[in-house]
Amino acid sequence: MVEEDKPIPEIDEDEEESSNRDEEEEEDDFDDEDEEESVVTPESRMRAEKARMDGVFRRLSSERVPLRVHDVLIKGNKKTKESIIEAEIEALKTATSVQELLQAATIANARLQKLDIFDSVNITLDSGPPELPGTSNVIVEVVESKNPLTGDIGIFTKPEARSWSLEGSLKFKNLFGYGDLWDGSLSYGWDQTSEVSAGISLPRFMRLLTPVMARVSLLSQDWLKFSSYKEQSLGLSLGLLSTRNHDLAYNLSWRTLTDPSQMASKSIRRQLGHGLLSHLKYTFKIDKRNSTLRPTKGFAFVSGSQLGGLFPDYRSLRFIRQEFDLRYALPLGFARAALNVGVAGGVLFPWGSEFMNRPTSLPDRFFLGGNSSPVCTLGGPTSLLGFKTRGLGPSEPKREVKTNSEAANSDVGERDFLGGDLAVTAFADLSFDLPLKVLRDSNIHAHAFACAGSLTKLTENSFRDFSFQKYKDSFRSSAGFGLIVPTKLFRMEVNYCYILRQHEHDRAKTGVQFSFSSPM
Amino acid sequence: MDESIQREQQRLTLVSRKPCFGLPTACPSCLPVYIYLKLANVSFDLCYNLTFPDSDQIPYVDSDTYVAYNNEKGGVIESLKEDNIVNLDSEVQNLPEWVSTSAMINSWLSDALLYELWVGSDGSSAHKIYYSDLPWPIGKVLYLKQVYSVKQLLGISKDNSERREEEIYRRATIAYKALSTKLGEDSFFSDNRQVFKPTSLDAIFIGHALITLYALPETSVLRGKLLEQANLVKYADKHKAELLDSASSSSSDPLSSVPRRGPSNSSSKTKSQPKRERTQEEKSFRRKAKYFLITQMVAVLVFLSLLGGSDDTEADDADADEGFDYE
Repeated sequence: MVEEDKPIPEIDEDEEESSNRDEEEEEDDFDDEDEEESVVTPESRMRAEKARMDGVFRRLSSERVPLRVHDVLIKGNKKTKESIIEAEIEALKTATSVQELLQAATIANARLQKLDIFDSVNITLDSGPPELPGTSNVIVEVVESKNPLTGDIGIFTKPEARSWSLEGSLKFKNLFGYGDLWDGSLSYGWDQTSEVSAGISLPRFMRLLTPVMARVSLLSQDWLKFSSYKEQSLGLSLGLLSTRNHDLAYNLSWRTLTDPSQMASKSIRRQLGHGLLSHLKYTFKIDKRNSTLRPTKGFAFVSGSQLGGLFPDYRSLRFIRQEFDLRYALPLGFARAALNVGVAGGVLFPWGSEFMNRPTSLPDRFFLGGNSSPVCTLGGPTSLLGFKTRGLGPSEPKREVKTNSEAANSDVGERDFLGGDLAVTAFADLSFDLPLKVLRDSNIHAHAFACAGSLTKLTENSFRDFSFQKYKDSFRSSAGFGLIVPTKLFRMEVNYCYILRQHEHDRAKTGVQFSFSSPM
Repeated sequence: MDESIQREQQRLTLVSRKPCFGLPTACPSCLPVYIYLKLANVSFDLCYNLTFPDSDQIPYVDSDTYVAYNNEKGGVIESLKEDNIVNLDSEVQNLPEWVSTSAMINSWLSDALLYELWVGSDGSSAHKIYYSDLPWPIGKVLYLKQVYSVKQLLGISKDNSERREEEIYRRATIAYKALSTKLGEDSFFSDNRQVFKPTSLDAIFIGHALITLYALPETSVLRGKLLEQANLVKYADKHKAELLDSASSSSSDPLSSVPRRGPSNSSSKTKSQPKRERTQEEKSFRRKAKYFLITQMVAVLVFLSLLGGSDDTEADDADADEGFDYE
């Protein structure tokens, strides 16, 4: 048959015209073509083709052109299991019209690319068997990555981390042909955190809709300077559900708190030891701001819930932790100015027998303070400009060591910050462009801000002394102005901060300070 | 000096491992400190740490900003002495005999107890003392880690394990005999002083002895060796009754959420000795009862078999009667 001899062009799904040509081959009556080919001149052939294409276009845009997929062929997969590819192209088989088929083919191509295991993906629509008119064969051609091992170094932020970190990782793709991605990484964070971890991500696991990820990590955090303890944690985390707005993960880890400096205060001393942490974490995030580095319009909302104590063993840490963060950016209409406001809060309390009397677990508490900008860090109450890392909230004097010098008897003792169970922060930030064009072009702008926050303890019967007046008094606040320099990797700020209200033992300083943040 | 007086006036808290086996704390490094504070008549609160079995900081004594850790200045007792908080050894600490006896207990007997808890026995005592409040996987891993480090500390390897075990037990036996001779029938290790006052030596040895007697299983070799020295056992039990069992009902509650099990344990322990006697009585009673029942059964059977003939005839008549009735 003549039509089989005609070359079947390979297509990129974005080009509808070429696909229309294919449709043309399937749709039209081939006898007509035979007759037309008797007129030989190239110009007339081109005119005829053009007319045909126009006709098909008109048909496609105006009416539904029925078509059925007869067969799907997969080529080029030497290692990858067919089931993985077939799972991503399910929608193609059920297409009933040309438009649906084109749409499904585009989506399938994108999904296969997203698996991150192929160098290139091509989907071709071919005519079906001649005895079945109105059908099409779909050919999926993939080229597997030649080099399964890739390495990377970069600056990232993980949702669990409260600050950014320098990370180097090695990825091994598609080891077993199931689209599995193995990776090992080493990271060093801004807040003295270091982590070694290895993970695996499976796109299809037991018919779950979203990819499943498992990660084993050894994490070490040094808080000796702020709270006189060091935290080490060996954990397994399973990402159960991960879509754009929802994230559900389960974490099981063995956490150890130690104090090698032997200078911890009383409450910290009582918390040292081993613990088994088993919790389920659900995060809901919606971010409709127009930018994460300099939002001028839109809103964002994040809610994180953690339920700890799910391991059957009653001795694992039991707590409920809820935090939320709401932002709004209002454009002011001049000089790219915008008013950003936000409020964030969080509460932590233990459950189980006698939960009113027991203290909460130290590393799970809320800590306020630090050098990151409240505009960029989205994810619960964490920052208050002007206050140092872990610089406010309940604190206790560290151990006093008798030395021969007089200094030991002085009243100025170092203090440990213990964190709190109820945290609230709020901020308002007015950002605007500066008059100089060179600054405007590099997006360097100025801002004026005001923030307030409070961190209090609820457990061990502290809530009995709770009064509204006392709570109002526990708020600290600061205000200031500064210059913001956004770079590709992070956002640097130079601020002059004035502390409006602080408590006796807070670590806060009025003056010029630098602040670095990474968009989360 | 003002500081030390001030500190004495502040309430001391002893953080130790949990109570078990009828003792306020069954950890070999914590119990001597407890007994030392009791011998010195210092009032203190007791607080338990249930989650850090491998810490060398525990036991520690603290009050607000003052802390005496176990891994500093030679131990908690030495720190308390140096900081002038509690010092029972002011008269003896320079006597050579006292120092060498103290060193003997702290090396030979301490090693023997360490060996017995972690290597020589099946580990059930150690598990109960250190890991019963930790989730199982953590407890198991920490236990294996500790067994390994004890073997390293005592220099035990696969090749010399039997030799080392023999050496450890031999030294312990020598130490027990020497201490038994030294103690005699006195109430404290006196070192030929005129006044019989307790010192830290007593505290350390009483702690060691009580753990060996009550926390180790009955099949323990070390326990057997200590039981051979009757006066040492009497000495340990006497001080246990005076310091621990009477005190357990009067001292304040510990500052932790773990319910205090001291009183119930001590009462169960005082019951345990009578219990042993009772079971002996019970056994003989049961034996007698069994014999009685057997003889009764035999008598009944003999009676039945002897009268079996007349019974049979009676039964036949009854049957015959029944037959008549039936008809």
